[in-house]
Formats: sequence, C-alpha cells, structure tokens
Amino acid sequence: MEVKRQSLESVRRRSTAIVATLFLLPVAFFLIVYIFRSVIYTFKLSTLDWNGVSQSSINIGLGNWKTLIHDATFFTTIKNNIIMVIACLVIQMPIALVLAYLLDWANSRFKFLKSVYFLPLLMSSVALGFLFKQLFDSNYGLAGALMKIFTDSPFNLLANEKTAIWAVIGVISWQFIPFYMIYYFAGLTSISPELFEAAVIDGAKHHQYIFRISLPILSDTIKAATIMCIVGSLKYFDLIYVMTEGGPSGTTELMATYMYKNAFTQMKMGYGSTIAAAMFIIITTISLFTFKMMNMKEEN
Amino acid sequence: MKMRKTILSALLSAALLLSITACGSGDSGNAANSGDTSQETGTSKAGGTTKLTMWHIQTQENVAEIINASMKRFAKDNPGFEMEAIPMQNDPYKTKLITAMSANQLPDVFIHWTGGPMISYIESDAVYDITDYMNKDSYKDQFLDAAIKQATYKDKIWAVPVENVSPALMFYNKKLFADNGLEVPKTLDEFEKTSDTLVQKGIIPVALANKTKWPGSIVYGYVLDRIAGPTAFADANNGVTGFDTPDFLAAAQKMSDWAKKGYFGKDYNGIDYDAGQDRQLFYNGKAAMYIMGGWFLFTAKGENPDFVKDVGVMQFPANPDSKGKSSEYIGTMGDNFYSVSKNSKNPEMAFKAITYLLDDQAVKERVPAGKIPPLKAITLTDDISKIISDSASSATSMQLWLDQYLAPNDAELHKDQLQKLLAGTITPEQYNKSMADGVKGK
Amino acid sequence: MARKKKFSFAAIVAIIFAVIWMLVATFPFLFMAFTSFKQRNELFQSPTIFSLPKSLYLDNYKEILTGNFLIYFRNSVLVCAIGLILLLAASAMASYVFSRLKFKINKIVFAIVIACMAIPIHATLIPVFLLTKEVQLYDNIIGLLGPYIAFNIPVSVFILTGFMKGIPVELEQAADVDGAGKVRTFLEIILPLSMPGLATLAIYNGINMWNEFVYAFVLTSSVKSRTLPLAIWEYQGQYGIDIPMVMTILTLSALPMIIAFVVFQEKLIKGMMAGAVKG
Repeated sequence: MEVKRQSLESVRRRSTAIVATLFLLPVAFFLIVYIFRSVIYTFKLSTLDWNGVSQSSINIGLGNWKTLIHDATFFTTIKNNIIMVIACLVIQMPIALVLAYLLDWANSRFKFLKSVYFLPLLMSSVALGFLFKQLFDSNYGLAGALMKIFTDSPFNLLANEKTAIWAVIGVISWQFIPFYMIYYFAGLTSISPELFEAAVIDGAKHHQYIFRISLPILSDTIKAATIMCIVGSLKYFDLIYVMTEGGPSGTTELMATYMYKNAFTQMKMGYGSTIAAAMFIIITTISLFTFKMMNMKEEN
Repeated sequence: MKMRKTILSALLSAALLLSITACGSGDSGNAANSGDTSQETGTSKAGGTTKLTMWHIQTQENVAEIINASMKRFAKDNPGFEMEAIPMQNDPYKTKLITAMSANQLPDVFIHWTGGPMISYIESDAVYDITDYMNKDSYKDQFLDAAIKQATYKDKIWAVPVENVSPALMFYNKKLFADNGLEVPKTLDEFEKTSDTLVQKGIIPVALANKTKWPGSIVYGYVLDRIAGPTAFADANNGVTGFDTPDFLAAAQKMSDWAKKGYFGKDYNGIDYDAGQDRQLFYNGKAAMYIMGGWFLFTAKGENPDFVKDVGVMQFPANPDSKGKSSEYIGTMGDNFYSVSKNSKNPEMAFKAITYLLDDQAVKERVPAGKIPPLKAITLTDDISKIISDSASSATSMQLWLDQYLAPNDAELHKDQLQKLLAGTITPEQYNKSMADGVKGK
Repeated sequence: MARKKKFSFAAIVAIIFAVIWMLVATFPFLFMAFTSFKQRNELFQSPTIFSLPKSLYLDNYKEILTGNFLIYFRNSVLVCAIGLILLLAASAMASYVFSRLKFKINKIVFAIVIACMAIPIHATLIPVFLLTKEVQLYDNIIGLLGPYIAFNIPVSVFILTGFMKGIPVELEQAADVDGAGKVRTFLEIILPLSMPGLATLAIYNGINMWNEFVYAFVLTSSVKSRTLPLAIWEYQGQYGIDIPMVMTILTLSALPMIIAFVVFQEKLIKGMMAGAVKG
C-alpha cells in the first residue's frame, strides 16, 4: 500500500515536470533567443573599448566599470530614476486606484468614461511630445497662461533646471495612470458583487466596504502594480527623450537616455553597454528585492 | 495518454498558427520580395539582376521621387544592375546606421554629414575610398571646391556631396525693423545696440531654440568666428592651439552676456526646434531676428507663406579690427554626402548610381524642390535658392556646423556645456575649461 | 450599487474629480484631432496653435488615405493580431505553471522570467538586428514578432501569474476529482477564469505593439513592411515637420485602437461578469 502510494506520487511528480516543461517551452524560446542572448552580449560589450562602428575593438576588462563607478552623471541619473519611482508610487498609483473605484462605481451609468479615461495611453509619444512642448511654452502655452495668475514672469517649466523633472513626471503620470487604472479595474470586477451586497446588508458604509473588504482583496494586484511601477520607472525612456532629451543641463537625464546617448550618439558602444549592464543589475536587484519583501510580509 | 493528445493538438495548432503567419507575410510583400529574404547588404542576384541598396534621409515624397527617378535611369543605362533607394527619417537614421555598422551590415550606399562622424567611419574601415572615381574624367571638378574639401580626409575623397548647400543665415523681420525705426546692424556693436532697443520694447531680439542645443551652437560659431577668425575652431580641435585662449574666452563671455541681457528672450533653453516654437516667435513678431540654416526660407514657405515677404536676410554682423570677416559663414556645403560602404561588392556600380543623383535631369528636378546641389554650374530660378546659393558662393570660408565638425563625443560635450553656459549655470571660464579638458579631438 | 436618493458629499467630490479627469484625459486627444483639420500654414498663422480649426479641412485625410497608409495599417494589424495571440498563449501557459504547479525550481525560473523585465530595450538592438539578418527575416514583418513577443513576455507572465493565483483553488480540486488532467484544468477552468487578466494584457500589449517604434525602425526598411509608427516620416523632413499631416496620421492610427478598446473591453468585461450585473 505504502509503496504503491509512493510510486503514484512519483508518477504525479513526473507528469507535473512534463507539463511544466512543455508549458514553459514557448516562453523559454522567446526569452532565450531575444533576451538572454542580449544580456550576455551586453555584458560582453561592457568589457570593450569600442565605438560601435569599427571592426576592431580593444578589450579593457573592467575599465568601463571603473569609469562608471566614478561617473557623477551616472549617479545623477540613478537619483532621477529613483525620483521617478517615488513619483510613480505616490502619484500614479493612488490616482489610478481612485479612478478605478470611480469607474467601478459609475460603470453601469457612465460607460463612456472608461474609454475616455483610457485615451492618454493610446496617444503616441510623437504627438504628446509636440503637444506638451507647446503647452509648457511660456509665450503661448497653457502653462504660461496659468502661471500668469500667480506670477508676473511665467517661465517654461521644461526649461527650468529645478522644475523640468516635475513637469516631465506630470506628463508621464498622466500617460500611465490609465494603465494602472485598467489594471485595478480588472481586479475590482473580479470581486464578486455578492461581497458588496453582503457588506451592505451587514450595515457597512461604502467607505468601510472599500477599506475593509475590497482593498485587502486587491492587495495582490496592488503589489504587482508596485513592481511594474518600479521596473517601468527605472528603465523609462520614451517621453523624456521626446520632451527634454535629458536636459536642461542633464536634470532630467535617466539611466536609459544616458545609455542610449553614450552608445548611439556619442559612439561609445562599450561604455553604453556598461551602463545597460549596470541598469540590468540595478533593476533586477531592486525588483526582486521588493518582490521578496512583499511576499515575506504575506507569509508572516 | 489523454494529456499527451491534448498537448499534441496544442502544438499542432501552434504550428498551424505559425504557418498562417508565414502566409500572411507572404502576401504582404510578394512584389518586392526578391530582395526581401536576401541580405540587404552586399548584393544579391535575382534573375540575373544585381541589386544594390542605398539609404538616404529624403523622406518627403517629392524628393524621394526625384531620387527614385535617378535610380531608374541608372538601372536603364546599366542593365543587370538595380539600386533600391530607401528613405529613412533623419533622427533615428543615425541609430540605425550605427546598428548596421556594428553588425557589419551596411548597405552599398549610405548618407552622412561628414565632419567628426565621417572620420570615425573612415577610421573604422567602413567607407570605401572613392578618390579614383572622383578624379576620373575630372568628375570632381564640377563640384564647388569647398564641398570636395568637406568630403576629403587624409588627402582622399570619401563621399559625393549631393545636396543642400546650407549656410546659416541671419534673418530679420523687415516690417518689425521698419516699425521700430531700426537699421540692419552691420557690426557687433550695432547689433548690441539694436538688441538693447528691442529688449526695452519687449521684443525678443533673436529667437533661439536652444532646447534642441544645436541652434545655440550656430550662434556661438558665428561669434567665435568674428572674434577669433575662421580657423580658430579647427586649430583648437586639432591641438594647434587650445579651447582656452583669450579669444575663446571672449566669445564665451559674449554669449553669456547676450543671454543675460535677454537677447534670446527668457526661456530659450526650453524652446524646441522640432515643435517650431522658435519659428512661432519669429512669425508672430515676438522676435525680431532669427539665425538658422538657409533652409528656413523653404520651411517658412510651407508653414507661413505670407510671412516670407517680410523676411530680410543679413550677414552675421562684423567685428571690425578683428580676425573674423562678415563674409565667413557657418554651415555646410551639402549636408547629405553619399558614401560607398567598404563591404559593397560592387563599389564601382554603387558610385555610378550616386552620380545619377546629380545628372542633368536630377539637377533640373532638384532645384525647384529646394535641394540645391553644390555644383559650380547651376542655374537657379527662384529667389530663395539664389539667396542661399549666393551666400554660399561668396563665402570666403564655411566652417562646418561645430557639432558636426567635432567628433561625436566632443560634440555632445560642446552642446551640453554651451546650454549650461547660456543657462548661466557655468561661467565662460568653466565652459572653456570643460572644452579644453574634455575635447579629445580627432 | 444601491441607488441613493440624495448624493452624498463623497459622491459630489467624486463627480467633480471625474469631470476634471475627463477634461485632462481628452484635451490632448482633441488637440491632436483638431490640428489634423488644419492646413499647414493655418497652424502658424493663427495667434495660437490651440485655436480651433477655421473649417473642417479634410484634404489631409484624403491625402493620407490615398497614400501608403493602408499598407502600414495592414502590417500593423497583422503584427498586432498575430503577436498578441502568440504572446497571450505563451504567457498563459507559463503563468499556469508558475501559479499552480509545484516543482523544485519553480520560484527560481519565475524570478528569471521577471528579471528579463530589467533589460533596457536599446541594449538589445544590435544582437536582435544581427539575428534577424541571419535568419533572413530582415525587412519582413515576421521579424518584428520575435522581439515584440519576447519583450512583452515578462510583464505579461508577471500579471497573469498574479491573476491566476487569485483564482480559488477549490474550483480545480473539484475538477481534479473528476479526473481532469492538468492540461484540461488549464484549458477549461483556469483560462476562462483568467479572462479579465487576459483582457487587460491584450489591451496593454496591443497598445505597446501598435505604437512600437524602435524595432519597427531598425528591423524593417522598405515601405511594404513598415508599420504605422513609421508612417509619419513622409511628413517629417530633415528641417521641419508638417505638423497637421503628422497629427492626421496619428489620429488615424489611434482611432482603430480606440474602437477596438471600446468594443473589445465592453464585450470582455460583460463576458467575464457572466450575468452577475452589479449595482
């Protein structure tokens, strides 16, 4: 009897292994071919002194890494990326959550709101770049007109070294809030409506329902959103490049824009790859660490 | 057993999906597909025709058509050869060029802007030496000498100057000047007086889109030329002199003073060229002058045709008793230079194809489109082309855009530091020091 | 939701917030659409570029719809549709493994997949370009599928695994008693219940693929294999942009996405709520 159960157990384990392997195959194929190879390639290039063009390059071992450790600009970009992460966590996520509840509440009555709120995510960076540059213009733009109410000398928020990063964060938040909104919304719709009805019958106020019942259910969704927020903000590139190119005076430079400029504009492919490799290490460490932390809490 | 069956069917359906994919793409490109699956680089033989490839950046339909027509003539005159001309957008083109070069997959012909990057390409062994072709039948003699000089490195010619003679010109709003009783400034002193008056009247003297950085570099280039003369920048870059001489300091000081006195308005470091914000200021009379490549006139013709008649052209003011003259220009003798890549299997035919970009028919079509080739014998029909061409041919020197002249790495340093100088976050001394320390030269 | 006769204070605040956000969200889109009805010179001649178009000028649309736009459009639709199907299928299979199957290295493999999120896209350009050339998929829209799928896999697997973990295990145990195999459990129980997650992913990844620029640029060259984000070139010259034309293209590119979103999203959400109407 005992022996039989064991063998059943091992059969089950083997079948699990077979299913797991087969089910993971497609993902493994794409990741190995496109991402693992790129990561290896990037680390390989990070040891070279190479302009990206020449057929010859010099192996300088850890030379690029030594430069990187003393590169003040790189540390500024890390700081800017961290500001982006924090802004994402304290601006995008709460607003998105509020909007998701709003949609959930208004769903049956104002269906169009969902589509309307979703518009920013659909806009292309080219259009947004053009539009927001005009909006922030101090001579013609809306931001200039608004500032005139408070001050005699409106200035271009994107051109000012102190305000540029906040202006850009505003635009990025505006574009990505809809994503988190839909993500939360999907989470909310999967909560069974009976839970709400039961709560109402128990005499719970709406806000009590939100804080005591639905938010805890959403917590896994929120955790996942947090990770995406962190990773997304750490490797962000698009709108910053379109709107400021890292300027003025490098105050909105991010790791990704700095890497891109080094590799492709300044033709320092080796050093650019070093930055990319460092980004990879930093982002992986931070995201896996956060992930671990969250799950630890859960287990306790 | 059952499970295996299911997996099998899942795999089969995946395979089916893939085959559908393949079909979908098959119909997506049958016509031009002979080269589709083959390497773009190098050459491919299909049906006895050798196919070559050319990358250029003339994406606007009318100009792309002129190039296609040239390539058709090439194919007709050279049976067995075909050149596919592929237009790409300017900015990302540089990324793609570097990606292709690093993978050693350049097309037979590609364009670039000479200057520092060209030297990198040459030193990296990516460019084919076309000196012999250019000398054959004195082909090169029909080009403006300065244009050939720009394509020359180490006494060899590496590229054919094909289009866009573009000196930077100083434009002014004639009506605005007349309304305010202002004269065209001839010297830097006069320019400063004029600008002071304009600032008092609440008009921005010079519209400057320095978020984009290179417009500031043009102004600096002119100021430096007027103070230090036409060879100063090259000498500094080549290590003959340095970037921290008194002349360089005076030029940086002047830029910094002008910015502080409001000659560029207030938010110049946030004004974006690509969004047309500088031109908006100029069009709407908020700014009186504008320093930009000659192409501005063509842009204005498209964006604001009524405004063109109000635009006057002047030389950048002189600086009497100094090394620079007002007949010296910043700009380029052609900003699309076509090179044959080293890994082309048919360099001679590739070069021949380039010459069709400048045959009589092509020139006839190019001029009205505002794409002026740097040729000696050229008949220009419209006023705008004449202004541009006259400035270029009367130029006693043409310093290539500083940011294209410098090696790519140094160019970024120059532009970044200049932006900081204009923002007032660094002093002229600091600007010069950073250039002196940072520029590695060629 | 229980209907109340009087709006509470919270409801009023919520409504004000809803309206403000509506304005903030639509303004840029309206700006884009309005600009597309302008002529090039009208844009810079009017006192501000935010003014309304003088008339409903439709020539921009006419010119673009008669050009290469439809080729780009077809390519984008193909890449997006095929890419999404493959991506979602691959991600769902992997997520099932990570959320349900117990084996030794499960967590490590999952961590590796998640770590793939961390690679900056520009660092992958050269190796992927080389690979695409080697397998002769350069300048072919199939060549785009690989990177489009691969770079969206980590996030998708991440989201879906989370989603599937949220599905009560009891349902499966019931099925297990029936003797259904793992594959059937996946196909018949997990997959249908993951619809909200899959819908979110379809939307998010669909947009990503639809607007993707860098790879479309690097891996294609001729007109026949370009996708929509490259369509603006014809009006973005070396020295200046024909802004109304570009805005027309961008509006036309965004419209199908909006329509797809409205139709798709409504249907899916309805489907997944399966009769359990709220409120």
